[in-house]
Amino acid sequence: MEILIAGGGRTGATLALTLHAQKHEVRLLEHRPSVLAHIHRELPTELIYEGNPNDPRTLEFARIADAQVLVASMSSDAENLSLCFIAREHFKVPRTIATINDPRFAWLFGPRFHVDVAVNQADILAGLIEQELSVGDMMTLLKLRKGSYSLVSETLVADARAVGQTLREVEFPRNAVVCAILRRNDVVIPRGDVRFEAGDEVLALVDEASAQQLAALFGPPAPATARL
Amino acid sequence: MNVIIVGCGRVGAELALLLSRRAHDVTVIDHVGSSFGHLDPAYRGRTIEAEPLAEGVLEKAGIRETQALAAVTNSDAVNAVVAHVARSVYDVPNVVARNYDPRWLVLHEAMGLTSVSSTAWGAQRIEELLERPRLRAVFSAGNGEVELYELQVPEAWVGRTLGALVGGIACSPVSLTHGGRATLPEPGRVLGAGDIVHVTATLEGAGDLGRRLEGTEA
Repeated sequence: MEILIAGGGRTGATLALTLHAQKHEVRLLEHRPSVLAHIHRELPTELIYEGNPNDPRTLEFARIADAQVLVASMSSDAENLSLCFIAREHFKVPRTIATINDPRFAWLFGPRFHVDVAVNQADILAGLIEQELSVGDMMTLLKLRKGSYSLVSETLVADARAVGQTLREVEFPRNAVVCAILRRNDVVIPRGDVRFEAGDEVLALVDEASAQQLAALFGPPAPATARL
Repeated sequence: MNVIIVGCGRVGAELALLLSRRAHDVTVIDHVGSSFGHLDPAYRGRTIEAEPLAEGVLEKAGIRETQALAAVTNSDAVNAVVAHVARSVYDVPNVVARNYDPRWLVLHEAMGLTSVSSTAWGAQRIEELLERPRLRAVFSAGNGEVELYELQVPEAWVGRTLGALVGGIACSPVSLTHGGRATLPEPGRVLGAGDIVHVTATLEGAGDLGRRLEGTEA
């Protein structure tokens, strides 16, 4: 795939390296001399295109019209927004992905600036940290279809009702499906004969009502509160 | 008219004062409170210290009831985004963005924004005054691609025709003023002492005309 990344900061450079390793055709646009000096040490020279991503001539030089994906990962949210807009309006780039630096601007990242996917870095980090802090507590990872269904994660406490039972034995709520069990460093595929252990992190797809019931199975025996 | 001005630098503060003097209802937004120090004491409008692109800030500034918005920060990207939001989300009828770095002008145009490039415009004015002192620009169309110039007929051109002065270059005569009375120009019209001619011209045409007036080109 041909991927154009605008902005060679930490995110852009790491992404370029990863995608290059996966044999994608990556072009990284950057113009700040200090950043260029840095990425020239980390990345193959042929990936680096020097120029200001806000200058249409630079975009043409980096053959933006040939890219299947544009990733706008500059440190200015306004620049990321206007670049996605131009990429679609002007160069017909089929897919645009933008990073959000300041969560206060998140409301703008969407169809009105032709942002197909917005990656809210602060939100993701906060979520990960919250997850680390929340043993025995249910975490919402992803809301589907405006929140009627959610992908949740719950770490089993030692005295949870489900500990010691196999998947088949546990009486799951009707609208809940276990998708994966993260056990130590492994992912366990949830089949009927898999037995739950304390410390298992269970990923499940649930609706709002089943989330409560699931929390009762995996959480502490005292009334558990689901946070959806 | 309700007007919102985003950015309270020198341009924003000056614009706020002009509009406020004309009794418009003006609100200025800037994310740095000390920027409001640029405002003239005679300014009679509101100020809001907030990040203009944070959710709800434009609404708090009354964007739903506003007829005009000017995005005049020193960031072209912010101006473009504010102007686009004003137009596409809030249907503000009259939106103008300031262009700061002339290289961004192409992007502003690609976004379909009405933009004013004070940097490019200022440099062009100064260049004209240096290069063509006899031509005075009195009106700019677009971002100065075509301008209306006023010129006083120099001694060397008295007795020659208007057609000889403006023929064959990217320049159209608009009016000829003789003795304080303006008429539509005809190419065969003989130029008199003290006549004032108005022409529209491209930059290139103005350059050619300037050289003719100076007598450096026949």
